Amino acid sequence: MEFKLVKQYKVAASVDAAWQLLTNVPEVAGCMPGAQISEQLDATHYKGNVRVKVGPAVAAFAGDIEVLALDPATRTLRMLGKGADKGGSSASMDLTAIVAAADDGGSTLNGQANVIINGKFAQFGGRMMVSVSDVLLGQFAATFSDKARALEDARPSAGSAPASTGHAEPASTTVTPSDAPPLPAPAPRAAAAAPAARELNLLSLVWAILRGWIMGLFGRKA
Amino acid sequence: MSALIDDRQKELMGMGVARLRKEDARFIQGKGNYVDDIKLPGMVHMDIVRASVAHARIKRINKEAALKVPGVIAVLTADDLKPLKLHWMPTLAGDVQAVLADEKVHFQMQEVAVVIAEDRYSAADGVEAVEVEYDELPAVVNPFDALKADAPVLREDLAGKTEGAHGKRYHPNHIFTWEAGDKAAADAAFASAAVTVKQEMFYPRVHPCPLETCGCVASFDPVRGELTTWMTSQAPHVVRTVVSMLSGIPESKVRIISPDIGGGFGNKVPIYPGYVCAIVASIVLGRPVKWVEDRIENLSSTGFARDYHMTGELAATADGKILALRTQVYADHGAFDACADPTKFPAGMFHICSGSYDIGAAHCRVDGVYTNKAPGGVAYRCSFRVTEAVYLIERMVDVLAQKLNMDKAEIRAKNFIRREQFPYKSAFGFEYDSGDYHTALKKVLDAVDYKALRAEQAAKRADPKCPTLMGIGVVTFTEVVGAGPSKICDILGVGMFDSCEIRVHPTGSAIARMGTITQGQGHETTYAQIIATEIGIPSEVIQVEEGDTSTAPYGLGTYGSRSIPVAGAAIAMASRKIHAKAKKIAAHLLEVSEADLDWEIDRFKLRGRDDKFKTMKDIAWAAYHAPPEGMEPGLEAVYYYDPPNFTFPFGAYLCVVDIDKGTGETHVRRFYALDDCGTRINPMIIEGQIHGGLTEGYAVAMGQLLSFDAQGNIQGNTLMDYFLPTSAETPKWETDFTVTPSPHHPIGAKGVAESPHVGSIPTFTSAVVDAFAHLGVTHMNMPHTAFRVWKQLKQLGIAG
Repeated sequence: MEFKLVKQYKVAASVDAAWQLLTNVPEVAGCMPGAQISEQLDATHYKGNVRVKVGPAVAAFAGDIEVLALDPATRTLRMLGKGADKGGSSASMDLTAIVAAADDGGSTLNGQANVIINGKFAQFGGRMMVSVSDVLLGQFAATFSDKARALEDARPSAGSAPASTGHAEPASTTVTPSDAPPLPAPAPRAAAAAPAARELNLLSLVWAILRGWIMGLFGRKA
Repeated sequence: MSALIDDRQKELMGMGVARLRKEDARFIQGKGNYVDDIKLPGMVHMDIVRASVAHARIKRINKEAALKVPGVIAVLTADDLKPLKLHWMPTLAGDVQAVLADEKVHFQMQEVAVVIAEDRYSAADGVEAVEVEYDELPAVVNPFDALKADAPVLREDLAGKTEGAHGKRYHPNHIFTWEAGDKAAADAAFASAAVTVKQEMFYPRVHPCPLETCGCVASFDPVRGELTTWMTSQAPHVVRTVVSMLSGIPESKVRIISPDIGGGFGNKVPIYPGYVCAIVASIVLGRPVKWVEDRIENLSSTGFARDYHMTGELAATADGKILALRTQVYADHGAFDACADPTKFPAGMFHICSGSYDIGAAHCRVDGVYTNKAPGGVAYRCSFRVTEAVYLIERMVDVLAQKLNMDKAEIRAKNFIRREQFPYKSAFGFEYDSGDYHTALKKVLDAVDYKALRAEQAAKRADPKCPTLMGIGVVTFTEVVGAGPSKICDILGVGMFDSCEIRVHPTGSAIARMGTITQGQGHETTYAQIIATEIGIPSEVIQVEEGDTSTAPYGLGTYGSRSIPVAGAAIAMASRKIHAKAKKIAAHLLEVSEADLDWEIDRFKLRGRDDKFKTMKDIAWAAYHAPPEGMEPGLEAVYYYDPPNFTFPFGAYLCVVDIDKGTGETHVRRFYALDDCGTRINPMIIEGQIHGGLTEGYAVAMGQLLSFDAQGNIQGNTLMDYFLPTSAETPKWETDFTVTPSPHHPIGAKGVAESPHVGSIPTFTSAVVDAFAHLGVTHMNMPHTAFRVWKQLKQLGIAG
């Protein structure tokens, strides 16, 4: 199945810090829960993997990332990612990401992606795909914001970035029910740069989606 | 005297009686014996590794990890089957199908490898551990893309073959072109007609989804060289023949047993790779191998139905007399042509598409096409492609009525084949056996007060505040069932006759065996009723056995409503052989001439003498104890019945729906179904069959859909998505009947189980579209889910 994602997230750091982070592909990949870059082949080609855990089963996607364009003038990144797991799912994503300055001194991360999913995930996950990607990207954006903020704080000239008051995408800061396994927590802010290749835990993901859905039923934004 | 006759009739429980189903005693107590109930000593389990993508080259299959899983005994791939030449197998449609994907996968969920293990869990773990690497290829998911000049070639194994099993192939992804009727005559009628209409429609891919999925237990005895396989098959004898041909084991050493079957609906006619692999595994390992698929596998890989892209055209006079019909169909057969049709009919009986109407000229053309989807094209509760044909003509008559602003019932009555025209030769060459369409339609219209319904509809259309749109669907269908005369119908060269063997025991009870196999139809009950009436033995002491090829006579099985039209006739004819012999014995016992004997319920009596008689029970004893001199002892008969023609059951259905203007939710207010299946054997079973067929029709029309995304990923192959109505969704059914016996059938019966499915589907569409007819809508494709209907409302500016 093929779908388009158009997303915008607030970043609690200046546009320069956000752009600096965006150009660091391994760091950006590390913002995705369960994802990491395993090898850099050349200036624009990387190998990476994503681990997904569903209960006791772990699926491992291995894939290639190619940076197609990196334009500092427009602060635009275009990249192509392709991967497959041995259990029979594959995915590809054509992503354009732009960072832009925001009025409050922070910045925004604008993403547009064309995603094609094949195999088991496309069969069974079709109805969930949009909700799942919302939650995943929410987590991605939260980590991205944290890392950008950490970069900013580490800069000697760190200036007037807005107070870090949490993340723009509420799904990423959800409080999970106490009896549920916790969401893969956003990295602690201070130690944001640590690459956290955790497994993406689908059970906790289900909680987040379910919660979002129930909130939606009552007309509240999850 | 008449009271005594009534008592004897009652004891007999013959034809026409609402006898309770004999099989239900075991089913409602959980004592049925299905394939998955069979457990043999030393039995191992098989599970299947399936393709995750729709179209790809297989780069590598790594079994190593799977073989290390505790309990896993073996992993087989196409390479393992190659030395046995079993990596490909013939289909029933003259094509070949990969048993296990050979270098390439052609559809998602295709069989790629099998894992044999000590238990079902280990087999599943083994499947998870098999690693398959694919080189993905672009997938083709509809016939129009498949026939484009630059489309990827799906079947590389057929490269360069311009001739298929059914004639010329004009594109590497083209399977066959099949035509019927007279194109020149139809074209001429269209050229000069006052009115013509044309409508495109898509009959989507659906799945019969029987409650019991497919499976088998294969048990090869290496010492005796005998293969016994319990299998969910609607045609066990055909399977035996195919298994013998494929394996080289003499047919006399192959035994196929269809035990209790939890619904077939066409899904259990084809021969699936899972069966073949289980049999091979049993032969290789010398142990019994069980394979039972799960629901997802059933919905994704076994025989689907329909997937016909149809264009219909009608030519008519200005006052609505239909002059000619033309139709073109693009049939999506999936990756292999594994349709289950009589061999000479690659589009089945689609040429019944002139329906119940007297149409002078007609032509139809069906082009079969390969795509990256599961193979199939089975007759889902219908005779071969009859559902598609009936849908086409009934939709077209509605479209014509709307164009002419004529009433949908009136235009049908105007074009019906009249009672006195039977036997009627259709423009497509069928000879309709009998019918009385005007009476059937009138009975329905009177029962529902059709005029009042149309008046209510007009009032509602005039009232802008009415929260609903009201639609009235009318369908008058004719089916063609009971395949079939062996001069035109065969499967793999075996004529489509059917058979019955009856043995009357010395004490007057009997056992009867047939070449068919019940899957819920109630053969044990109804077949016994035919014999009871024909030879005067109470149905309670007649055992009916089917499905074991080692005991039952050869028959082509149960599908396409052929049990009663073909096997039912064989039962009557075998009974009549016994009856004739019994009469000789009775004459001998009474010391009179046969000519002086009259038959009455259960006995031969001397004409005019109630006290001089011999009952069938007396005669049975005599047949073993003291037969007339020179007569062969015993009282048995076998009959192979080759039908002279098909039978043509018909019906008139009417449906009233109310569609919520805000949500698109369709409420079926009323559904009135009148069926004419000729002679009625058991009214209760007929009622049950009609309820079941209507419910499955409702499922197809209102919700069932196997859809695929552009990459060939099957969407919604679980019961979370695939609509299987329960009593909560199912509308209330009102049933009615007329009786117009078939003149060529020994008891005049035509078959009934499929009529309600075939007839109801276009009725629902007719009703839904009728709700929008005053707004210029002529057709809406199924399924009529709330969302899809809402989109129509939205498009018309009705829904907010």
